[in-house]
Amino acid sequence: MQEQVREWLEQGKVDIFLGYKKIQGHPLPHCFTRDNLDETDDLIVGNARYSLEKMATKIATEHKELKIGLLVRDCNQRALNVLYVWNQLRPDNIETISVNCCPSKLKEHGDCSYLEPEKAAPLKMMIGIDNNMDVKAAEEFGQEDRYKRWMYELQKCLKCYGCRDICPVCFCKECSLEHTDLIATGSVPPEVPIFHLVRAVHMGGRCIDCGLCEDACPVDIPLRLLYRKVNDIVSDVFDYKTGTSVDQSPFNMLGEEVTLEPKPI
Amino acid sequence: MDFKIIPSVCSYCGTGCGVLFQVMDGRLVDTLPMKTHPVNEGKLCIKGWNLHEHVVSDKRLTSPMLKKNGHLQEASWDDAIQTAVEKLKAIIEAHGPDSVGVLASAKITNEENYLVQKFARAVIGTNNVDHCARL
Repeated sequence: MQEQVREWLEQGKVDIFLGYKKIQGHPLPHCFTRDNLDETDDLIVGNARYSLEKMATKIATEHKELKIGLLVRDCNQRALNVLYVWNQLRPDNIETISVNCCPSKLKEHGDCSYLEPEKAAPLKMMIGIDNNMDVKAAEEFGQEDRYKRWMYELQKCLKCYGCRDICPVCFCKECSLEHTDLIATGSVPPEVPIFHLVRAVHMGGRCIDCGLCEDACPVDIPLRLLYRKVNDIVSDVFDYKTGTSVDQSPFNMLGEEVTLEPKPI
Repeated sequence: MDFKIIPSVCSYCGTGCGVLFQVMDGRLVDTLPMKTHPVNEGKLCIKGWNLHEHVVSDKRLTSPMLKKNGHLQEASWDDAIQTAVEKLKAIIEAHGPDSVGVLASAKITNEENYLVQKFARAVIGTNNVDHCARL
């Protein structure tokens, strides 16, 4: 892996390479460049996962022609696919090296220890939603019970915007969560459940189930589960599996007429 | 093109969360929580998430300000310190050392906080020292 990156940089296949390096004992994201080739010996996979593709997006907006290499786990690859679909990155400018990855719905086993699910505490099991539940199990609660449990989870929100800030596929210049007509400002918790539902709706056809949002949430809201439900609907209605291909998303196609049957809410 | 990730500690409160600064072409562009940091384990509050904004903010003070004729004006450090000394001396002389209180900060280091209390007790001569985290 180190040699390949060195070769790529030497040959000019990539101008920079985003990977990980151990700094002060922490595996941290690092930008490898041609000016410092020997540094490639320090390239590691790292068991802490950061959104390298989000950094690449940020770099690409200012340096459009730069060729960027990336270390990708499965979730990074899915995020890249979504970023290609939404024209945030150009596939011609991106080179990837795939490495083994973390557990997700699409892959059972992985190496990222930081995503091993933590067991929920007894109180959370009793009155909240266990983050490790799957969508089906979470839907088995009675309607009233389910509403109470979700509201318990959502009212913990500190409005840190961490879920949005860390999300690899959140790139909008103007964010609905900061729109004062949609979300009132000046109080914590924010307006629940609307704050989280606005974000959930926007995650339809975007969320690649990487779990970084849940990872970054200081109060352990089961966000991944919420967005999985939204993406299940996208999958049922449009037969579109977000992030699995670079084909057009049903959400950025303009149709001539409405082809969907209206459904009761 | 220059892109660096720089590990640091959040300067907002005394908790000490690990943060990563993203620096592009010498400009601080974004903040990330450090995932392996023992204090915050990859989480941050809204202030920590926006650290870079207070560093690059237009409203950030880059020099001391002195009020002259009712308006705040930029001044040199020498002038600012001289004015502070004169005013403090006058107040202590007129009303005694306990008329002065000193507020320490979570945004400065342990050693600087030590100096702050030393300044209050040894220089001014008062025990009126408190910390912003207790306000």
